[in-house]
Amino acid sequence: MANAKNARHHIVIGSGVAGSQAAETLREREPDARVTILTLSSLLFYNRYDLPKVFRGHRDWREFLAFPAEYYKDYRIEVRRCSRVAGVDGSRRSITLEHKEEIRFDTLLVASGGRGYIPEELVEFRPLMHPFASYTEAVTAASVVPDRGHVIMLGGDMIGLDLARTLIDTRHRVTLVAGPQTFWPHEVTDDERPGLIAALENMGVEVVEGADAGGIASIEQGAKGLSARRVLFKDGTELYGDVVMPFFGLSPSVEFMLGSGTDIERGLLVNPALRTTGEGIYAAGDVCQIWSDAEKRYRFFYGWKNVRAMGDLAARNITGGDEPWVPAQDEQLHISDDGKIQSPFWEYE
Amino acid sequence: MATDIQISIVGSAGDGTIAAGEILRNALAGMGYKVISFDVYPPEIRGFGKCIARMRITTEQAYSLKHKSDVMVSLDDSHAIPHAGELRDCGALIYEQGSIVRLPEGGHMSAHVGPGQLPYPVPIRELSEKSTGANRSRNIVVLGFIAGLFNLPVEGFRKAIGKKFKSKAAAAEASEAAFKAGLDYAAKTFKLDDVVFGPPVSTVVAGATVEMINGNAAIVRGALDAGIDTFFGYPITPATSIMERLASEMPRRGGRLLQTEDEISAISAVIGAGFAGARAATSTSGPGLSLMAEMLGMGVIGEVPSVVFVSQRGGPSTGMPTKTEQSDLHMAVYGGHGDAPRIVIAPTNVDGCYRCGGKAFELAEVYQTPVIVLIDLYLSNRYETVVFPARPPFEADLNRKPGKAAAGAPYKRYALGGDDVSPRAIPGDKGGMHVVTGLEHNELGRPNDSAELHTAMSRKRHEKLKLALNHPDFTKFKRFGDEGPVDVGVISWGSNFGECLEAMLKARGEGIRCAAMKVVMLSPFPTDGVAAFMADCKEVLVPELNYQGQFANLLQAHVARPVTRLARVPGEPMKVEEILEEIRRLAGKKAAQKAA
Repeated sequence: MANAKNARHHIVIGSGVAGSQAAETLREREPDARVTILTLSSLLFYNRYDLPKVFRGHRDWREFLAFPAEYYKDYRIEVRRCSRVAGVDGSRRSITLEHKEEIRFDTLLVASGGRGYIPEELVEFRPLMHPFASYTEAVTAASVVPDRGHVIMLGGDMIGLDLARTLIDTRHRVTLVAGPQTFWPHEVTDDERPGLIAALENMGVEVVEGADAGGIASIEQGAKGLSARRVLFKDGTELYGDVVMPFFGLSPSVEFMLGSGTDIERGLLVNPALRTTGEGIYAAGDVCQIWSDAEKRYRFFYGWKNVRAMGDLAARNITGGDEPWVPAQDEQLHISDDGKIQSPFWEYE
Repeated sequence: MATDIQISIVGSAGDGTIAAGEILRNALAGMGYKVISFDVYPPEIRGFGKCIARMRITTEQAYSLKHKSDVMVSLDDSHAIPHAGELRDCGALIYEQGSIVRLPEGGHMSAHVGPGQLPYPVPIRELSEKSTGANRSRNIVVLGFIAGLFNLPVEGFRKAIGKKFKSKAAAAEASEAAFKAGLDYAAKTFKLDDVVFGPPVSTVVAGATVEMINGNAAIVRGALDAGIDTFFGYPITPATSIMERLASEMPRRGGRLLQTEDEISAISAVIGAGFAGARAATSTSGPGLSLMAEMLGMGVIGEVPSVVFVSQRGGPSTGMPTKTEQSDLHMAVYGGHGDAPRIVIAPTNVDGCYRCGGKAFELAEVYQTPVIVLIDLYLSNRYETVVFPARPPFEADLNRKPGKAAAGAPYKRYALGGDDVSPRAIPGDKGGMHVVTGLEHNELGRPNDSAELHTAMSRKRHEKLKLALNHPDFTKFKRFGDEGPVDVGVISWGSNFGECLEAMLKARGEGIRCAAMKVVMLSPFPTDGVAAFMADCKEVLVPELNYQGQFANLLQAHVARPVTRLARVPGEPMKVEEILEEIRRLAGKKAAQKAA
C-alpha cells in the first residue's frame, strides 16, 4: 500500500532495539505514515546481545538479523543504512546527512544508542584494542583470537562480562582488568563488590584490580614469540594476551543533535513521555536521560527490555499517546545460591 | 566452486564507465574466466547520457547476461539509482559515499539500497583526488576496490590497465595510484556480501587461442582469416568499428580499404570488386542497408559474390542508433525490388560472428550471390571469451572456374542446367569474356526479356541458393535441450538466442520438457530441419527483438502452424525471466489441457 499523500513522515535515528521497536509500533499505529530508519550500520537490525555467538563459530551475519529483509518491505519501513546524520534542524524539521542530503520529517525519534566509551588515558591505544560493539567488530575480534586464546578485558561492563561467560564456556582464557566501570551500568557499592569479584573468579575469570597495579601505563604489540598484545601497568607488572577488549560502558551518541534546539546533558534530556525540548522530537534507549519525578533527576535506563519498552512508548506517544515511562526491568545485580552472577541486563528475548 | 557473477558499472558519459568495464573484463578474462559483456551508452557523442558496462563472469559456459547483477557500481547516482533494483539480494552495491553538492531527498544512492542488498559507500572522489590530484580516476579507484573486496589477483588488473593506457604514460601512472587507493580502502572494508569468485577453469585445447572480443571484432577476424581482399564502407553506428578495425589490419595484410562517400558507392564498389574476383565486403546498419537495396539486386541478377555485414539498431529512420533491435530481418531477406533472393545468415553469439564473418565469403563465392551477415548492436558490442582454433576453418578460392569450352563455342556465364551454379570466369580469364548488366539476360549475359528466359533465370537464381542449405562445415540451425517430443520449443535467431537458451535451460531445471532451436541461416530457410523440430513441440515460442514478429512471419511463411510470439522492442536485450515466464505459461497451458 502506498503512503497517503498527506501522511506524516516519522524518522527514527538508530536501528537498534529501541529504534526498530519504535518503527514497528509507528507502522502499526499509523498505517499510512511514512516510516524511515536512519542508521550507521551496514546491516539491518540485529541483536547486539547475540554477538558473543561469534566465539561459538557463528560468523554469518544473516543468523544475527532480527528480521529478514522481507519484513521491512512488508512493513513499508525504509531503512537507510550507512547514513550518518550530520545535523538536525528542529525549527525546519529537517535532517542533513553527512553526504549533504536533506530529509524533512514531521516527527523525529532519536534512538542512536551509545558507542563504547574509552577513558581519556587509553584513547591513544585504541588501534591496539578490539571493541565489541557491532557485528563487524565482534567478527574481527573473534577472527584474531586463537582457539583457547587469551582475552584481556578492560573495564568489564555487563556487555563484556556477558561475553566473558561465552569465552569461558568456549575454553578461552579471560583476564579482567577491573576498575570503576566493572559491572556497569549496575551501580555496585563497595560492600557488594568483593562478593561480585569473587563470583567472577568462581566463573573462571582471572581478575586483576587495575587500581592495585597503579593503572594501565600502556598497551603495546606483543613481543616476538609471545602473545599479540601486552598490557603494561604502572607498577611495572605486565599481562600478555591475544586481544585487548575495552568494556567501559557506553557513551550516548548525540553529537549530531547539537544545534537542534534540544537540551542535552550527557544524553538527550526527555520528559517522562520521552519528549525532548524540541518540538516533535523524541528520544529512546541508551541515548536519553529520562526525568524521574521520584528521584528528581534525569537518569539513564539500560538493558534490552527497558530499551525496547522505550522505543515502543516513544512511538505510542508520537502517534497520539501521552503515557509516562515505567521501567520494564529491575536493575539489581544478584548472586545466585550457587554463586553465579545474575543480571537482568543479560536477559533478552 | 563454479563462478557465475554479474557486475554492472553505471555512470555518466565522461565518468570512464565503459573504460572501467573494458579493463575489468580484460583483467577477468586474462585470469581465465569466461566473460560475456555488453555496454550501453548514449547516442550523443559528448554529453551526460547514461553509460552502463555489464559483464557476466563464469567458469561454465553462459549464453546471456543475467537479469540481476551480483555487484553494482554507481559512478553517478542520478543514472544508477533507477537500476538499483537490478542488484540481487546479498549482492554488493558500491557507490560514492559523499557529495560535493547539496542533494534533495532521495538524491543519494543510500536512499535506494534495498533491505536485502549490501551497501558499500566508498569515498571514491576523495581517494581519486588524494592519489592522483584529480577526480578523473574515480573509475580506476572502483576497480581497485573491486579487486580488493573480492580478493582478485592484482596482477591481472595491472596488466589490463597497462594495456589500456600503454601509450599514455601519465594516465598509466595516475591509474596505478588510483587503483592502489581503491585496493587499500577495500582492505579496511568488512565484506558482507556473498559474492565469491571461485578459481577459473581453463578449457583451452592445445594450439587454440583465447581472446576477449566483441561481435564486430570477431566478424573482422573471420573476414581476415577468410582472406578478404577489399572493403568499401561508410561509417554508421553500430557497424563502424568493423571498418575501423579492418582499416588498421588490411593494409598490413596486403588488402585494400576505402571509405566511400556513401553506402550506395560502397555496395557498388563491393559488387565491382566481386565481379573482378576479389573477396569483397562492406558493413552498415539498417539505414545503410536501405540505400544498398538497389545494388544488392544488381548483385543478385549479375550473380556476383559480395558480402554485407549489417548490424541492426532501433529503427525506423535514424531511430535509436545506440539501442539494439532485430527489426531489419524483413529488409535483409526481402528488401529490394524484383525477385532478388540472397543468402542471409545471422550468428547468435560472438564465436558465431567469427564463423559467419568468414563463411560468408565461402557462401558468396560458391553460390555466386550477395550474402548478408545480420547481427545487431547487442552482438556488435557484446564481448565474449572466444576460443579460436589453431587453423582458420575457412576455405580459399572456391570459385567454380569454367572448363575448356568447345572450340568456337561462346562462354556462357549464366549457363542453365546442372545444379544452377554456373561456372564463373573472372575478367581477364582466357576465353571468359562475357557481359554483366542489371538487365535480365540470356546464358551469355546478353539482355533478353523473353518470358521463358526470365522464368528460367528467376528459377536458377532461387534454386541455386538451396544448395547453401548443405554447405559444408557450417551450422544452419541447431537444437538444444530435450530430445524427442517436448511441451515447449523455443525458436529464435541472432543475438536474442542466448537469452532463449538460458531460459530454456532454466525451464528444464524446473522440470518442464522443453528444447530450443537457433536458426542461423535465414535465407534460404532450412524449412525441413525447423519443421521437424516444430513437429516435436506441443507449443512453439518465438521470442525476438522487434515489434512485428518478423522472424515469426518468416517462420510461418515456411512452416504453416501457429506459434506464440514474444516480440518486444525495449532497445536492450530481452530478459531471460520474461522468456522463462512465457515458457512456464505455455507449459502450464499444456498441463491444463492434459488435465481437462
